Amino acid sequence: MIKLIEKIEGEAKLHFRFDNAKISHVDIEFMSTRNISEKILQGKPALDALVINPRVCGICGHAHLLATVQALEECYDTLELSPKAQTLREITLNFELIQNHFKWIYLTIFPLLGEKQHILKATYPSQIMSQAIATVAGQYPHNSYALVGGVVSEVTHMDIIKLHHYLDETIQFFETHLVRGFSEELLVCNDISNLLNKEGDLPSLLKRMIQQGWEEYGKSYDQFIAFGENSYFQRGKSNKTRRTESIPLKYVEEQLTTDGYAKSVTYKGKHYEVGPLARAMINKTPLIKDAHRRYGDSIFSRILARACETAQLLIHTKKLIDTLDLSQPSYIQPHTPIEEITATGESAVEAARGSLIHKVTLKQGIIQHYDIITPTQWNLSGGTPKQLGVSQKAMIGMESAEMAELVFKSFDVCSVCTTH
Amino acid sequence: MRILWLSGVACNGNTHSFLNYPFMEQFLKDFTFISHPIIDSEYTLEEVVQQTIPCDILLVEGAINAHFTRADVPITQIILNYAPIVQKIVTVGTCATFGGMFHQSYAEPTTGLHFDQKMPTDTFAAFKAKTLSISGCPIHPEVLVNTLYSIKNRMPMTLDHYLRPKAYFAYTVHNGCVRNEYFEYKIDNHQFGNLEGCMFYEHGCQAPFTHGSCNKILWNEVNSKTRAGQPCMGCTEPTFPKTNLYATKKNMGIPQHLPLGVAKRTYLTLAGVSKAFTIDRLEKGLFDD
Repeated sequence: MIKLIEKIEGEAKLHFRFDNAKISHVDIEFMSTRNISEKILQGKPALDALVINPRVCGICGHAHLLATVQALEECYDTLELSPKAQTLREITLNFELIQNHFKWIYLTIFPLLGEKQHILKATYPSQIMSQAIATVAGQYPHNSYALVGGVVSEVTHMDIIKLHHYLDETIQFFETHLVRGFSEELLVCNDISNLLNKEGDLPSLLKRMIQQGWEEYGKSYDQFIAFGENSYFQRGKSNKTRRTESIPLKYVEEQLTTDGYAKSVTYKGKHYEVGPLARAMINKTPLIKDAHRRYGDSIFSRILARACETAQLLIHTKKLIDTLDLSQPSYIQPHTPIEEITATGESAVEAARGSLIHKVTLKQGIIQHYDIITPTQWNLSGGTPKQLGVSQKAMIGMESAEMAELVFKSFDVCSVCTTH
Repeated sequence: MRILWLSGVACNGNTHSFLNYPFMEQFLKDFTFISHPIIDSEYTLEEVVQQTIPCDILLVEGAINAHFTRADVPITQIILNYAPIVQKIVTVGTCATFGGMFHQSYAEPTTGLHFDQKMPTDTFAAFKAKTLSISGCPIHPEVLVNTLYSIKNRMPMTLDHYLRPKAYFAYTVHNGCVRNEYFEYKIDNHQFGNLEGCMFYEHGCQAPFTHGSCNKILWNEVNSKTRAGQPCMGCTEPTFPKTNLYATKKNMGIPQHLPLGVAKRTYLTLAGVSKAFTIDRLEKGLFDD
């Protein structure tokens, strides 16, 4: 049986095999690619990648911009970057993650858990977060405000006041709709019963999962990985709750699979989940640890982790803004022009759906090779019959294509990123 | 009015830019999507591509290629099914209008609906009279939405030769940039990361010759690329993307592309006069005494 899954920034096909009325195997097919690495990036001047790569994706293009600038900066032996520029980049990245999560909850997950899409609850906070990005970076979507050496924009105290208000308004929205009167508490809460006793769209969704008996569905390898270290996310991997910090990028491998255009990815030959659940397991977020203790790496934990991360990022970003020293330069011109650089640079950034890895090889400032590994590749590409991909494994045992779609989309799929 | 939002070879940037339209609640009372990349609708994508469902407006996002399919039906076929029955077709974004970012994605031609960059194409020429182009990478949500309302209210629109509404595309991105004074007096010492300076002379800003209202209606209601200090990349034009985007191409020290409609001799005369003077206020930092 084949089901076309739509509204995942494109489409994918799930090819199911049923045995005794349960899914025994599923192949995931992504049907097209735009050949961005081979046809659009190759041969271009390095800085053009800052304009091209946001167009890999319309919902997480900002993460691609930041992964690009960091990969280009890694091509330099020495490069000075002010803390102000680095912090501004992290702030705008967080704004993008937050709007992704709101859209996923109210447009993707709501309909899969028995509600209709609530378009305005998705667009209202997303618009505010987009305004916050635009205040710093000029516009959203599709800006290229990060440049090798920093960011192009100068930010004033007046802009800071606005950014705080955008965040305050979004936190208020979270506390009105997602979890009534409860946002900061989510960061320290260590018992999901406390959350389930609250009013709000999130506790309602979680309680519905439990009522339906779905809270343990969608379990996979219980292995998590995150590469994009910043002031909030820790880098590392976690096998169930056992954390390892050192994860050199050289052990990341891509393989072509037989289905479609999504290459599968492994770390030291194994499949890992990326995304908010992975980040929470590596950060050891108390609430998610409790969910994981009860329900493992199920859709319950996955959905909770993404909603919880929304609050975490809103609150952390306010603190991050207050660390900005506006007297520092936004941009420091590199000593060597990029036209003289022949080198390879690699970067990792935590995008909404998980770790995003970029690798660029330059020769006299011209792109020879550009490799992109997206979070959706980690979670949603197929594996081999001996070692299934993360979401393939998660869908085994589901009793219907509809349940499989819920499990599939609990990973938050981005079809355009996966195939780029 | 009923809208089919169809995606070709796209990144979905236009879809997400559209979701930033501030009066979405009002818009959704006046328009229904029979299919949309994100918003749920009465019909599945499969139903929409396999049948011809009555609707009033066809929106095409993303570039068009003969081999590209949606739910296993070639996008060219889907367009040819719906183009005859709709009142209007709107190309949403530079890819759907000219080919844009993905023009080079495939060996086979990957173009806009009626234009392959600057050249007109034949495949859908029968429907050119009912098409409007909203170029931009991505589109500005107000430009798209107000164009849809113009269609709904049967308001006559003056279009340029690329079928773009002049109400938005007769302006240049240069109109309204807060850095205009540095341009006017030819002060060419812009550094990235500063409030001051014009990016046209050294840093590749295409605003003076790019059609768009970015500095008139602003982005996300608050800002624009050039106000923030990023050069305009010319994203509404058939030539997007060019190369070496952060640097101004020059011939003998003079920018290769001059402001729209300004003859070289005019430009050089004005430049010569401006450069003869020093204006202290514009040579200093904006907040300096």
